[in-house]
Amino acid sequence: MKHLRKLLTTRLAAIPTSFAVGILIVAVLGFVDAAYLTIEHYKGVIPPCSVVSGCETVLTSSYSLILGMPVSLLGALYYLVIAIGIFAYMDTKKTEILKWTLFLTIFGLLMSLWFLVVQAFILKAWCIYCLGSAVTSIALFVLANIVFKKYMITETVDNTAVLQ
Amino acid sequence: MPGMNTKRIIFWLGFVVVFGLIIWGLVVAMNKPPVMGLNLGAPAPVTEADHVRGSADAPVTLIEYSDFQCPACAIYYPLVERLLSESTTTVRFVYRHYPLYPQPHKNAFIASQAAEAAGLQGKFWEMYQLLFDNQKSWENLPNTESVFEGYATRIGLNTEAFKKDLASDSVKKRVQRDRDEGISLGVNSTPTFFVNGKAIVNPQSYEAFKKIIDDAARGDSN
Repeated sequence: MKHLRKLLTTRLAAIPTSFAVGILIVAVLGFVDAAYLTIEHYKGVIPPCSVVSGCETVLTSSYSLILGMPVSLLGALYYLVIAIGIFAYMDTKKTEILKWTLFLTIFGLLMSLWFLVVQAFILKAWCIYCLGSAVTSIALFVLANIVFKKYMITETVDNTAVLQ
Repeated sequence: MPGMNTKRIIFWLGFVVVFGLIIWGLVVAMNKPPVMGLNLGAPAPVTEADHVRGSADAPVTLIEYSDFQCPACAIYYPLVERLLSESTTTVRFVYRHYPLYPQPHKNAFIASQAAEAAGLQGKFWEMYQLLFDNQKSWENLPNTESVFEGYATRIGLNTEAFKKDLASDSVKKRVQRDRDEGISLGVNSTPTFFVNGKAIVNPQSYEAFKKIIDDAARGDSN
């Protein structure tokens, strides 16, 4: 709760374009990965079983669907939203947009952690594309945290904003 | 400022185009039929020791290297069953073991042993069906023996003989022999199908599968 209140009142300073582009690239990578799996799902491709991976176990498990939708589609939409948010920030320079976009990365992180648990302890099989998505969503969360740490503006007593 | 607006429109158009290109590129790249898997060796001729369904003089011999614990094999299992029931005179089907054991399928080898042990009492295919039908219920068990013994009872096997055969060296060797042959052909995923000695790219629907068989029956090479 304390964190949420802090988040609501926090303002961010502008971040360097290179930083924004970096976040955008990670989101695009995540999007490509998730979109690949989504297309594969809707094409009805039956992934064969092979010695090197347990992908088919993961992708044909009941955990790969949420309300009938493939998890990869939700993932693709998530990365798309992040990319749109970052892009909208680069367009408008409104740091409020940046703040809420970066806030969303916590959901990507939590989903990825859940699916890592599912793969490690429930299915005991790993899907390389799902691990790729875990990497990009963790990376987005870490980048978001760096932004919140480095570019947060706190109000001082005389109401002048200072960069922390 | 109209100039500013144009710039923004181009900015966002660029965004839409990039994402459009990504999706388009993925769809195009994924529509190319995979060529890998085609350059496999020719499987050994069908012998007395093989598990065969269908007439020996059928024009098409379909050999499957398969794993009872593989979800993809379980998906193909009803397709093969339908194929056999609809093409009774054209297809001879041969099942060969290719358990991806110990990783990723820890129960695949013992499942093959169960099918072999049932085969010793003439009920290989009955066990084959039960194993695929119930794959989800035994795939993650730490010990599958009691479940497989239950299947043996269900299909009317002599349970004592089944238990003994399940653990016997000759049954293990029989499974291993199929797997070794698969490895020597270059099989690296399951299911891998051979139509008249040639590896095929796994068809993505029953209709596609049926077409491959029908073409082979007519003598078309492709």
